[in-house]
Amino acid sequence: MPTERVADDNVLLEGLRHGSAEAAETLFDRFHGRIYSLAMSILKNESDAEEAVQDVFLTVVRKAHTFKGNSALYSWMYRICVNTCLMRLRGKRRSETVAIEDFMPVFTEDGMHTSLVDDWSKEVERKALEKELGQVIQKFTETLSEKYRVVFVLSDVEGLSNEETAQILGLTVPAVKSRLHRARLYLRERLTGYLREGKMEKQ
Amino acid sequence: MNCKELVYLLGDYLEGTMEEPLRQEFSLHLEMCEPCMNFLRTYDTTRILCRQIRCEEIPEEVRTRLKAFVMEKVREHNRDIEKYVEKAAIERREQVSTLLRAYAANRLSPMMAVLFQTHNDRCETCGAFLRSIDGGKSLVEMPKVPPDIEEHIAEFLEALPPGEAPTLS
Repeated sequence: MPTERVADDNVLLEGLRHGSAEAAETLFDRFHGRIYSLAMSILKNESDAEEAVQDVFLTVVRKAHTFKGNSALYSWMYRICVNTCLMRLRGKRRSETVAIEDFMPVFTEDGMHTSLVDDWSKEVERKALEKELGQVIQKFTETLSEKYRVVFVLSDVEGLSNEETAQILGLTVPAVKSRLHRARLYLRERLTGYLREGKMEKQ
Repeated sequence: MNCKELVYLLGDYLEGTMEEPLRQEFSLHLEMCEPCMNFLRTYDTTRILCRQIRCEEIPEEVRTRLKAFVMEKVREHNRDIEKYVEKAAIERREQVSTLLRAYAANRLSPMMAVLFQTHNDRCETCGAFLRSIDGGKSLVEMPKVPPDIEEHIAEFLEALPPGEAPTLS
């Protein structure tokens, strides 16, 4: 098999438009990791994620000719992936989510913290905790409603800029910032609770 | 700035997108307020910890299965397209040949006759080819249309207004 290196996304797209199987293979090799990771973050289930990834690549191959190149290829693919995942979520019974309001910080009337704030930032630096915390965070993000989760996953987990996240989701940048902030506040609060309980258990 | 306002602005602060006067106010509050300092540290740590839940590895078995599936579908898709392209080419050839037959037999509709004549007067390649088949003889067999002429005439046909019947019934 010729393994001519397809140098950049435009060449790749051009190949897809001409029905090149080689371009499709390069596309898969280049993006499947990121797309799978994103699908997993949103869907939280291996077999669902696998099907979503299939759909994403088929959509990209079939619609390559409609891609205008206004955004980067990966950003277009992320968008397709998010849409695919959200459609899958809608088809299912919603996994249980919590009222995010219950976990927002509380302030006094004049805007002061109502209680002392624990600083656990140093505690979590211990290597032993790393894996455990990963699982805990994973579990907590699953309880976020998709409105917050998708923004959080793109920005904080995948590490995209707020502008990119906004573009992918068709939101304004302020909307992205606000959802992201609330998602972080929620997770911070849940982690605080988790670490406090853990400490009590040990004593 | 109070604690509530500070918490609201944490994202901007950590991103470094805060305007200078506001930033100074923010830092001033932070220096004097332990709860806010702790809040900021834990908020920032949360953000950093979350990077780690990124599903970094796709299981090899899933990867192999996915790739095989996607590539098979791509080949199917490409075969469909090839079939479609082939079908379209055959249809086009038929249309061109119908047009030429009607032209040779003087059976073009009046409108088409005018349009086609105009095109052929202007277009040297088509004109030359048509003169070679024109001559009153009723063509039993159409000479093979060279690909460039075929493409040209197909383009001409595609540019016609809709609903125009090219030949006399």
